[in-house]
Amino acid sequence: MKSLRLLRAGLRAPSLRPATPVVLDFLAPSTLQTCRHYNSTALRQSPASTTGSSKPKYVLNEQQKEYLERALRVNQAGELAATLIYEAQNPQVVRSHPHLRPLMKHMYDQEVGHFKTFNQLNAKHRVRPTVMYPVWEVAATFLGWSTGAMGREAAMACTEAVETEIGSHYNDQVREILSWKAEAESRGEELDEELEDMLTTFRRIRDEELEHLDHAVANDAKEARPYDPLVNVIRYGCKAAIKITERV
Amino acid sequence: MTRSQSLLALSRRYLSTTTTKPTTTAAAAAATATATTPGRHTFCLGRTQTQTPQQQPQCLQRLRHTPPRHPIRSYHSAHHPSPPHEYSNSQTTILSAALRHVPSHGFTRDALTLGARDAGFLDVSVQLLPRGEFDLILFWLASRRGLLRSRVEEDALLQSPQGPLSTDQKVKILVMERLRMNVEVRDKWQDALAVMSLGENIPSSLSELHSLLDDILDLAGDVSVDASWYSKRMALAAVYTSSEFVMTRDESVDLRDTEEFLSRRLADTKAVGEKITGVKQCLGFMGSTAVGLGRSWGLKI
Repeated sequence: MKSLRLLRAGLRAPSLRPATPVVLDFLAPSTLQTCRHYNSTALRQSPASTTGSSKPKYVLNEQQKEYLERALRVNQAGELAATLIYEAQNPQVVRSHPHLRPLMKHMYDQEVGHFKTFNQLNAKHRVRPTVMYPVWEVAATFLGWSTGAMGREAAMACTEAVETEIGSHYNDQVREILSWKAEAESRGEELDEELEDMLTTFRRIRDEELEHLDHAVANDAKEARPYDPLVNVIRYGCKAAIKITERV
Repeated sequence: MTRSQSLLALSRRYLSTTTTKPTTTAAAAAATATATTPGRHTFCLGRTQTQTPQQQPQCLQRLRHTPPRHPIRSYHSAHHPSPPHEYSNSQTTILSAALRHVPSHGFTRDALTLGARDAGFLDVSVQLLPRGEFDLILFWLASRRGLLRSRVEEDALLQSPQGPLSTDQKVKILVMERLRMNVEVRDKWQDALAVMSLGENIPSSLSELHSLLDDILDLAGDVSVDASWYSKRMALAAVYTSSEFVMTRDESVDLRDTEEFLSRRLADTKAVGEKITGVKQCLGFMGSTAVGLGRSWGLKI
């Protein structure tokens, strides 16, 4: 009896206990529980986890991956739209106000840079582009062309409305990634360099978008007639487009 | 004792369901046996082993895993690798062993049972795979997809002595390589396609097809992230599935006929794509000319 109790105690000892089994692994014979067959499934180990700094990397869960996928998809579509809006506004605004040519070119060049950045990021992380891609192309060109036709003030009001929405959207993303970073630090982990780069990129792009907003206000965006309906329509349109792009 | 705790939890869950409506006496007896002495769970399994599959008591249905989901994977990153499938260790062991029996027994429950026996499991453990044959087919597809990736990354499949290959050439090599993996199950593949085309299986099959095409285009180095992302995948899906059908009837050496068929289809796709691009360019040119003319006449457009 005593020996039986000893045996049980020995079984309960943590050193003898096998690794926590996945549910129902008790069906597997004991030989299989130690050697698991992973033939032909080729799980790649991340190269960065072995090299570099000593801190463990923060592992993204499924929701976070999905958030990033949606964020990148929206950002790409947003920059596509911004590029097309400026492209469509440019000829009309510049013809009547030639002194705006350097400013328009500066903003357009920055948007093209952002668009390229997100194209590369999305290709790298294999993020699906939005289904609405051709629709947004047409809508953005129309928005740019129509506000351009309404004059300089309307074009600038359009820029103001779009950049307000886009800027706050980037801000949300930066805040989200920072919250992951805080969580990682509280656990003694760190974000991988791709996420760190993304954080820097999002911050830089947000600042540049807000700079466009300042330029627009400085160029009489508030003088547009009718200001409120125009800006509200564009802002709500942007919000709806962001929601749609997140999903499809 | 984590193991016996999980067993206890299982048997409790099982008790709560079977005592309310015991269907067979075997199930009821097994219920009390497992509920009182969790260490004797083999009793339940031992009894069922002797029964025919049609008479399995309800207790085993409670032990089934929920079927693994096959989500379209989002946000790929080398820092956050995601496994090619979501099967548990036991399921993976049974399925990998069963794959060796597929060339002789096809994608059937027999192959699964033989695989389970090879891996040292009881025959009833095929119940771990609630979708049966379809789980075997999905595992075949997912593992071949993983194999294709490892061929490229480890065996340098896409390295050519004649300098770098174009994306189109790489796509063709990858599709042929994937089709050649099906050669040993050529006779059984039409049955598998039939199972995949059953209503409830279609979403998982399409999702797996998408994963394969996405992998092929990624490995071939395609980086387009505009509307052509969709058209490329759809075109490749049509080409791949039709080549797969041709492959099942191809008796030539090293799938030469299939390869020719694939080349013709890819050339067709390319020709159609070029036509569409040409038409688009022409329309765009005419549009911008019209706008430019209007502007030069002083129109406010």
